[in-house]
Amino acid sequence: MTSPPVTGPAAVPGHRGGPGPARFRPRRATPAGTTARPRRRGPLSYWRQYLAISPFYLIFAAFSFFPVFYSLYLAFQRWDGLGTMQFVGLQQFRFLWDDPVFWLSIRNTLVIWVLSTVPTLFGALMLATLLHSVRRFKGFYRIALYLPNVTSIVAVAIFFGAVFSNNFGLVNAILGTVGISPVPWLSNPWLIKLVIALLMTWMWTGYNMIIYLAGLQAIPASIYEAAKMDGAGPVRTFFRITVPIMRPIILFTVIISTINGLQSFSEPQVLFASNAANANLGGPGQAGLTTLLYFYQSAFLNNDYGYGAAIVWAFFLLIIVLVAVNWRITQRGRKP
Amino acid sequence: MDLSRRGFLQAAALTAAASGLTVACGGSGSGGTKNGKNLTLWYWGGALSDKVVAEAKTHFGSAVTLTAASIGGDFKQKLTTTLAAGSSVPDITGIKGEDMASFLPNASRFLDLNDLGFKKISAQYLGWKAKLAQTGDGKQIGFPIDIGPTALFYREDLFAKAGVATDPDKVAALVRTWDDYFTLGTELQRKNPGTYLVNNISAVFNIAVGQGTQRFIDKNNHFIGDQDHIRGAWTTAVRPYTLGIDAKINDNSWNAAIGKNLLTELGAAWHALDIEQAAPHTKGKWRVCANPAGPSNQGGSYLALPKQCRNPEEAFKIISWILSPANDARGFTDAAIFPAAPAAYTMPAMTGPDAFFGGQKVIEVFGPAAKAIPDSYEAPADAAVMAPYMTELTNIEAKGKKPDDAWHDAVSQAKQIARRQGVN
Repeated sequence: MTSPPVTGPAAVPGHRGGPGPARFRPRRATPAGTTARPRRRGPLSYWRQYLAISPFYLIFAAFSFFPVFYSLYLAFQRWDGLGTMQFVGLQQFRFLWDDPVFWLSIRNTLVIWVLSTVPTLFGALMLATLLHSVRRFKGFYRIALYLPNVTSIVAVAIFFGAVFSNNFGLVNAILGTVGISPVPWLSNPWLIKLVIALLMTWMWTGYNMIIYLAGLQAIPASIYEAAKMDGAGPVRTFFRITVPIMRPIILFTVIISTINGLQSFSEPQVLFASNAANANLGGPGQAGLTTLLYFYQSAFLNNDYGYGAAIVWAFFLLIIVLVAVNWRITQRGRKP
Repeated sequence: MDLSRRGFLQAAALTAAASGLTVACGGSGSGGTKNGKNLTLWYWGGALSDKVVAEAKTHFGSAVTLTAASIGGDFKQKLTTTLAAGSSVPDITGIKGEDMASFLPNASRFLDLNDLGFKKISAQYLGWKAKLAQTGDGKQIGFPIDIGPTALFYREDLFAKAGVATDPDKVAALVRTWDDYFTLGTELQRKNPGTYLVNNISAVFNIAVGQGTQRFIDKNNHFIGDQDHIRGAWTTAVRPYTLGIDAKINDNSWNAAIGKNLLTELGAAWHALDIEQAAPHTKGKWRVCANPAGPSNQGGSYLALPKQCRNPEEAFKIISWILSPANDARGFTDAAIFPAAPAAYTMPAMTGPDAFFGGQKVIEVFGPAAKAIPDSYEAPADAAVMAPYMTELTNIEAKGKKPDDAWHDAVSQAKQIARRQGVN
């Protein structure tokens, strides 16, 4: 770990718990050079700093914090969005328990999540390792691989919808030239999930790759040189050195991917929006109906806000459980 | 570009000021006076003729300033949120036909148009359409803009190739019932290999349900989606699937199929424009005739006055002017909006021949259809309860699910949704 150039007491290497680098300290902090701890000051005297960071917290409070708890309140009500609310206790959750579509949506979400997260993270790590050793056109490769992530998800979904279209899609046209009969990409329940997962892999591989690349660059070259001298090959080096050192970064991406991957909504929504008979229901067989899409449909299309809130809160619990499981798996084998 | 700190601050301040101004202008609020001089109108692209709206601004310019805003995105959601918030509520707003039922339980959020004089002019508009925007106790919430009477669009050239009569009246006589229609379809398919009669069976179900007076929930808030009228519509819908004349198109490949292998197309008057845009090369090859087993309605919107309306009298004058039969007919010319005022059907704007339909005067089909649509009751939860039937019909087409299994799943799922929505 490298510490930024600082003066004064913080110049001690690894200034954990210290007052921090000089440029982050309040202006009136102890002058550089003295070893005395700064006097304790009331939080009010930092009002400028608090003011400076307040916009984020105000917006967060209004648009994230309040809605989160309001939706918890809504989960115990029946409300059409305009009329009077009616307290129904746990009834919405009882409905949820009996609703086969809710469980179907959970299954869909989990399958799509596994199908997308595993190749995304593996692919990202591979690409990052490859890119780390590239010498020329570094910037080009990085931008090219990151580009899908900043492309509008709607545009990508429309593009995928056209490419994988059952009757007149590009993929089926190519398969047709080599004599393979058309594949029902957008009507077979498993293929629907595969297409959605592919779309998400396409969008998120580059993002994770950049994070891994940053991690790789932080590993000192001397460790690799030492390994080379000890006779370790590239594969052994990768699994014995790169992966263990990268563990915290991998953990981070796994958790972020869990949260992102379970929240798939726009992909199936846009992909099957032209399904006139039942738009927003996840396509044929509801195979692309993810939990968030079901939530959207219940709350905003069927005007059943209480049920929608119950769906997302039940789903929140599931995400918590999955993140905990992921955490345990990724932490396993780590030295205490 | 070199952005100085001062330049950045100036730009930021300007942006903030501009957004503040916008908010201030948009913030009409709920003023205490009811003779306001500024009225806002919310609609969505294609809901009204933009030309008529622009003219309304000058026509009423001496009394009020009318600001029309074309709202994009999820219109119902934006309107619901605004009504719930209670500020910046538009003085006049559009409501889509399919959303009307879900707004009726909250009729107190809107003004009763009967109090403002709708009663006197209601005879000019189709009764069944006006009734769909009426509460149980007779409050009129919506002023009908347009309707979507359905008919049968068919390929005249492919009919001729099969040696079937092509004249609209004769075809209508051939397809008087659904069974006749499907029988004809099998025959047409034999003569035109690779073609299909219907694009998907959900479309058939939708129209067949609309031909009846009852839907999924009755006026006493009971679930009736498992009864004979729905079962009958279901059986009708499944027929083309079992006969092999269903193209099973459930995605955007309809656009490619419509000019190629579809023999007929069931749809509302506005659907003509979809066909025209998707298959311009079939110009002149299409004709329209009466819907098998009678017409039904698909879509068609309303204008409503929220309770916060700042000048109800003027606002009502404006909407009754915009939607007068004469202006309605212009809406048909400008934006293919099929009027809810039958008087417009005899006006020159609507009686002309349509080149896309080989010079046929399509109003001769849609006009009588519009008047023949039955009165029906649509409950607030109707659309939500209908969804599982559509899903299961798609399952039949996409997964080859057994129609009987699909029916049972659809009914049980519909019952659950109904219970969640407070239907008993």
